[in-house]
Amino acid sequence: MGISKDRIKFNVGGRLFETTATTLANAGRDSFFGALFDDGWNLSPQDSVIFVDRNSDCFAVLLDLLRTGDLNVPANIPERLLHREASFYCLLDHVRSARWGPFDGNRLRLSDSVKGTSPGDGTAIRAGPDGGCCVAHGSVVHVYDWMLEEHSPINLDYQRVNDVGWIDSDNIVLSACERLGRGDGGMGLFSSSSGDLRYKFQVSHENQVKSYTAGALSFSPDYEIFASCKGRSNEYGIGVWDQITGKQTDFFYESPGWSLGDADKLQWLNGKSCLLVATLFPRKDNCYISLLDFRDKNMVWSWSDIGSPMAIDEKRVRDAIAMEDSNSICVVNEFEDLGFIDLRMYGGSVRWSSRSKLMKSKMPDEPCYPKLALHEGQLFSSMNDSISVFCGPDWVLTSRLRRSYGGSICDFSIGGDRLFALHSEENVFDVWETPPPPII
Amino acid sequence: MSNQKKRNFQIEAFKHRVVVDPKYADKTWQILERAIHQIYNQDASGLSFEELYRNAYNMVLHKFGEKLYTGFIVTMTAHLKEKSKLIEAAQGGSFLEELNKKWNDHNKALEMIRDILMYMDRTYIESTKKTHVHPMGLSLWRDNVVHFTKIHTRLLNTLLDLVQKERTGEVIDRGLMRSVIKMFMDLGESVYQEDFEKPFLDASSEFYKVESQEFIESCDCGDYLKKAEKRLTEEIDRVAHYLDPKSEEKITSVVEKEMIANHMQRLVHMDNSGLVYMLLHDKYEDLGRMYNLFRRVTNGLLTVRDVMTSHLREMGKQLVTDPEKSKDPVEFVQRLLDERDKYDKVISTAFGNDKTFQNALNSSFEYFINLNARSPEFISLFVDDKLRKGIKGIVDVDVEVILDKVMMLFRYLQEKDVFEKYYKQHLAKRLLSGKTVSDDAERSLIVKLKTECGYQFTSKLEGMFTDMKTSEDTMRGFYGSHPELSEGPTLIVQVLTTGSWPTQPAVPCNLPAEVSVLCEKFRSYYLGTHTGRRLTWQTNMGTADIKAVFGKGQKHELNVSTFQMCVLMLFNNADRLSYKEIEQATEIPASDLKRCLQSLACVKGKNVIKKEPMSKDIGEEDSFYVNEKFTSKFYKVKIGTVVAQKETEPEKQETRQRVEEDRKPQIEAAIVRIMKSRKILDHNNIIAEVTKQLQPRFLANPTEIKKRIESLIERDFLERDSTDRKLYRYLA
Repeated sequence: MGISKDRIKFNVGGRLFETTATTLANAGRDSFFGALFDDGWNLSPQDSVIFVDRNSDCFAVLLDLLRTGDLNVPANIPERLLHREASFYCLLDHVRSARWGPFDGNRLRLSDSVKGTSPGDGTAIRAGPDGGCCVAHGSVVHVYDWMLEEHSPINLDYQRVNDVGWIDSDNIVLSACERLGRGDGGMGLFSSSSGDLRYKFQVSHENQVKSYTAGALSFSPDYEIFASCKGRSNEYGIGVWDQITGKQTDFFYESPGWSLGDADKLQWLNGKSCLLVATLFPRKDNCYISLLDFRDKNMVWSWSDIGSPMAIDEKRVRDAIAMEDSNSICVVNEFEDLGFIDLRMYGGSVRWSSRSKLMKSKMPDEPCYPKLALHEGQLFSSMNDSISVFCGPDWVLTSRLRRSYGGSICDFSIGGDRLFALHSEENVFDVWETPPPPII
Repeated sequence: MSNQKKRNFQIEAFKHRVVVDPKYADKTWQILERAIHQIYNQDASGLSFEELYRNAYNMVLHKFGEKLYTGFIVTMTAHLKEKSKLIEAAQGGSFLEELNKKWNDHNKALEMIRDILMYMDRTYIESTKKTHVHPMGLSLWRDNVVHFTKIHTRLLNTLLDLVQKERTGEVIDRGLMRSVIKMFMDLGESVYQEDFEKPFLDASSEFYKVESQEFIESCDCGDYLKKAEKRLTEEIDRVAHYLDPKSEEKITSVVEKEMIANHMQRLVHMDNSGLVYMLLHDKYEDLGRMYNLFRRVTNGLLTVRDVMTSHLREMGKQLVTDPEKSKDPVEFVQRLLDERDKYDKVISTAFGNDKTFQNALNSSFEYFINLNARSPEFISLFVDDKLRKGIKGIVDVDVEVILDKVMMLFRYLQEKDVFEKYYKQHLAKRLLSGKTVSDDAERSLIVKLKTECGYQFTSKLEGMFTDMKTSEDTMRGFYGSHPELSEGPTLIVQVLTTGSWPTQPAVPCNLPAEVSVLCEKFRSYYLGTHTGRRLTWQTNMGTADIKAVFGKGQKHELNVSTFQMCVLMLFNNADRLSYKEIEQATEIPASDLKRCLQSLACVKGKNVIKKEPMSKDIGEEDSFYVNEKFTSKFYKVKIGTVVAQKETEPEKQETRQRVEEDRKPQIEAAIVRIMKSRKILDHNNIIAEVTKQLQPRFLANPTEIKKRIESLIERDFLERDSTDRKLYRYLA
């Protein structure tokens, strides 16, 4: 066998490496190696060595990444250093995709815990589309990229943040409380990298711009933003804005005896082209869940526990999520009992599946209300310090995510193939990932 | 409030300063700048990519991204300004080559510069949302070279000149052309469109405006179309060779507009070469070309179609209203068929079987065929001619073809019931005289009529065929029951159902004794087998074969009509008879008798009797005797009746009247049908609906419909609304 002609020698920071042009081609044209092999550059002859003034340990890791597609970082290499080096070679995308695999609730592995810095309870955590996240604490939103590097926080000057949402990897929408007499509050669009305010969403009632408190947020694939809004007495309801123009396109006013403007949760149902609006105990004395169709301004489905017998008082609905595939709404009470309401019937009742009364005995000192999330046919429910994963048509418990400290989970979010769980104590959040697929 | 000004506090943001050599950035940038120069001077062999990349990286890392970015733009701009001077200096033909060479150099340099600045491209530019290196390099080229005042118009003019040269037949360097135009496309669609495509289209428009004017003055229509077609393919070819494929539609529309749309009317109406000329002289190729070119422009085909239609109508009108042509119905119909065949061929070979043209053809024929009120009669006569004798020796398939064509004409007729009347008469004559050539052909046409107009239309015609068939059986039965009749004269009777056949008033006549005996026997036989029927003898429709021996012993068999037989039989007992005597003996009506005698005495070669005095016409005082000297080379002699093949004027009137008479019940039936379902309807609507219902048979006359409505009101089928006199109400 002759010597392969595409053999390449590198001297990286004094250490010799030998590889092939084929391996380096895996880096793609838009990378250091792609540029290096461009015809314009008079690359040294076969036997000469290309010198690169970089860290050799990281080069070894990245070369292996190009060879195998797997990322194996020895303990002695700090993450930040590796990311820095990958950034030099324009290989960050490669590192990102080798780092963790496609999301699967039953194969999650705790990859990191990030300690919070802000005082006060965490309000919400939201996963970004590319593996980053943001955490809302009081009036501040901390933004992290996928490397879990914190960027400039978004500071709202003592307005309380109610909800946060990602438009794309560079834009975050915040909803905030109005402070009486100040005319501020409402919703704003912020840069995730710099934390700067880019746009402020306005609400008009009868062609007059009004100040308002924005609550829960939801986004549709048709570039719409929905938010529950509270203004003056008759200005409660759900506002709709266009993500591209930023203009208000619609407003669904709350009808007497019902609640929309105080909603805890909005969820856009793409199949039904409807918005789920849920106002829950204890924000109100009763729970109100409704589906709104904005095309003909119609409440197409609704459910409330007004007038339910007091005997089942302990079973107050604490969170709700619509599951379009099974035409039902899943609800959860403070004991993590799941309940289901049929969406095809008007005025149906909750079918509770009492899984465990055992939980009742060991309630923690500082309870957090359970939260629900749905991701690709898997149902997630947080309770105390753990998150349960349910699968299949009967929603069988298949996994439980728990770690030892941080206290109860007050919010969690799934996105960018990661699950982020925010704990109430110490404001620490956990990052759960699915490991890359097995070798064989 | 105190007037003391509020003090403004300003808090300086705390900044992390990277402590580096203050000249670090300048030094590093100088290295990179020098490299960029070297790259542009094609002297990059000594450069170390790794070093340059690292330097650019470090600048971004140490927050000098902005300096690097602006530095790159400034340096590249300076280089491009220099290059544009060099390009500008190039003389004549080398100008384009120089530009193309420099463009290729720039692309290569840009690629390498991007390689060096890749880190900046991926991080600094990404986060600050500035223009990326590659598109920035292209827009710098656009602004500093392509849009450079001394290059901009010169480049455009050079390109347009080359196109112009190619149009006038010179050979140009298409490869160079392609790369330069590719440059415009690489610089972005808007650059290509604004800086090249738009001026190119304007220049082309101007060129073709002049050229088409030249052509139209000097060429005939056919040649012009050939040239236009050639230009069109040339332009399409040009786009394929060196323009953006998206330009094809635009440049062809320019050619179409200048060469075709603007001269459309003139081309079509060109004397001695326009559309009419092409149609008259069967220029299928030119017609096809015209169709294909005109199809490309709005209203193009409409223009062609309109001219064709008006020509067709004019031509057809002349054809059907020309009294000369009407003299021979067969020729008349044949001419119509020929025209149709011709236009069918034009549409199928030249006009791509275009449905709209077929419709135009049909509507034109419908228009002019109905201009001549005798068209139905002529068509029936044509069929008569074909089925009577013409088809002898023609294969079945051909018969079908001819009949199909006739059906085509039939479809155009508005007065289909008139056709039916004539057809019935002609068919009756054919059947009774036994002159039908092919039973199959007859039936085939009936089937066609049936599919076209429905069962009702042909039921009587079919009845006629049935009568013929049953008559044969009856005759067999008659002779079977009378075996003694095998001797003596043979009588063949065709029993015709009243109503199925065109009725003519039965003309009484005295039959010779031998025949009337036989007739009586048949009558009693027939009435014996069929009770409750009545037989009337239609002597005016019969024929007879009689054997005659002339003076010198010449024997002949004479084929004559019943009337002629009656006359001839008289001469068995007399040598000479006067007109009065014959009239008395036979009781044949005067007009028929005169015609009958005329055919016996006045037709040369067939004059079995002689007349005194010798003259063409029959007078009341004439006398007749047997022509003993009669000779003929045939044993069988057919004595024709002097009948006009076409109808005589009074006959025509009569047929017309009968048709009108027959229409009355049909119109009434239609009115009643409509009113029965609608119950109440106003006058205009009822007229419209009746006309529509009767369309397949004839075009109903509104005044006639009105009369029928009046009649129905009189008979209490309908009544006028008491408040609105225009409304009719159905009375159950």
